[in-house]
Amino acid sequence: MTDRQESVLIVDDDAAVRDSLSLLLKSVGIQSRAFSSGGEFLDAYQAEWAGCILLDIRMPGMSGMEVQRRLVERDCTLPIIFITGHGDIPMAVEAMHLGAHDFVQKPFHDQELLDRIQAALSANREQQDDIDLKRNVKERYETLTPREAEVMSAVVKGHANKVIAMDLDLSQRTVEIHRARVMEKMQVRSLAELVKLSVLLDS
Amino acid sequence: MNLKVSHKEVPEFDVTAQDAIMDAFIEAIIIMDTDGSIERFNKAAENMFGYKANEAIGLDISILMPDPDGANHGRYVDRYLATREARIIGIGREMTARRKDGTMFPMHLAVGEVGWHGKVSFIGLIRDLTDDKLAEERRLRQATDMIAASRLATMGEMAAAIAHEINQPLAAIATYASAAERLLNAGPENTGDVKGALASVKAQAHRAGEIIRKLRSFVKPEVASLEVKDLQSVIEDIRSLAELDARANNIQLSIDVANNLPEIIADGVQIQQVILNLLRNGIDAMLDCDPDDRRLELHGYIASPDEVRVDVIDRGHGIPQSVRDSVFNPFFTTKTSGMGMGLAISQTIVKSHGGKLGFEDNPGGGTTFYVTLPTKVA
Repeated sequence: MTDRQESVLIVDDDAAVRDSLSLLLKSVGIQSRAFSSGGEFLDAYQAEWAGCILLDIRMPGMSGMEVQRRLVERDCTLPIIFITGHGDIPMAVEAMHLGAHDFVQKPFHDQELLDRIQAALSANREQQDDIDLKRNVKERYETLTPREAEVMSAVVKGHANKVIAMDLDLSQRTVEIHRARVMEKMQVRSLAELVKLSVLLDS
Repeated sequence: MNLKVSHKEVPEFDVTAQDAIMDAFIEAIIIMDTDGSIERFNKAAENMFGYKANEAIGLDISILMPDPDGANHGRYVDRYLATREARIIGIGREMTARRKDGTMFPMHLAVGEVGWHGKVSFIGLIRDLTDDKLAEERRLRQATDMIAASRLATMGEMAAAIAHEINQPLAAIATYASAAERLLNAGPENTGDVKGALASVKAQAHRAGEIIRKLRSFVKPEVASLEVKDLQSVIEDIRSLAELDARANNIQLSIDVANNLPEIIADGVQIQQVILNLLRNGIDAMLDCDPDDRRLELHGYIASPDEVRVDVIDRGHGIPQSVRDSVFNPFFTTKTSGMGMGLAISQTIVKSHGGKLGFEDNPGGGTTFYVTLPTKVA
């Protein structure tokens, strides 16, 4: 599993709000980076960033919702927590429909805000783990020979060795050997685990 | 080249033909002599002024004008004849005209000097401006409505902007404070950060104070331009706007203001703002009522010898006990889209007029908001 530095990316046009959020996060040991506008953030954004985004919904120039739209275009999967003010609830609800992770209202309750940030961070970690696992499984799968891949696809369909042998015009013994190699290369001990990985590969 | 100029005789129209031409005009044509005595009076003039030509001829022109123009008319003519200095001849101007029955109407009067049977006469062409004036009044009224509506919109927008503005330093203060608390709990090595946070809290509190000062000067109405007003016409001027709003929301609105109410001293636009706001609230209160029950009434009447009163009566769900004390507070609202500034600002306005804004439950359900205003001391 890759270990990437995670940080909370704060995007707010108000310097005091940015600064106080950074300090609050620092006080609980969470790293953060602050940006004063959507444009500045989008210019700096790197696809390998990990963590979550705290995004002010109401900013002069590019609005928070517009930033969200552009991030989606760039396949960004970082969870977004919208910062909203009085009367922004309808907008926040729309943002949630567009895939935002959460929203918090100003002024913030510190514990609630931190809990939500933690939840977003762990959502991102899980998501990241999924991506990493998938990449890993794919790498394992790519070490299979074409014949082993054929055997694997038959095995996960639940076909018995005898049937596979007949379908592939092999001896039953040869199928058993291929099957053992598949289990070894895919690093699994049971058929159930192999099926799980195969589902992951297809997703 | 042989230029032969032939002078063609212009045929003389006889009197009958002249009468026919004059009677064909839409404008009133009146001819008078230098003494102001009417000599000719066409059909249009008969219709406009209510005199028959045979009644009018020989009468003094001043009967067609209210004083002081009527009384002074003779002097105007004498001055013109003496000085040749035209005040109206060849220029034309708007004046008030008087009919036979004494009623007045606005007219445009153009005067020309004619030689008539070898003596000087004056010919007046008169257009009735009643319809033009009505159209102009309508335009004016619509403009007033627009101004009132846009003031209301501005009020809401400004309040929203201020609420957003004030939330920023508050959010920062709360966040700095909780960061400082956590840093202190973590250990003494964070003193520097804590000091920085406290300095920021101070700065942000001042920023919030600055915004509130701005808000105060906004809620406090600008120096009202007080004039002697008649409540009926103040309300009449917003009738069409209120009716528009009511119609758009399927609400039957009846506005009934007593005639001859004593005059008040008020800033008409501010009072209109208050009344429109109460009507708006009444409409909002009934949006989820059965369409047949959506009735909004406005009554204006004399409440006591020194007070006029406007009641705005809705048939909504009434004001729950729990919020009765809060309805006039700034930023208090039960609406999803409201800013909660309408009643707060309205109350400030009414108080500054020496009046009272309040509400009471209706026996049959719904709420009556009332405004009382002191009448002008005679």
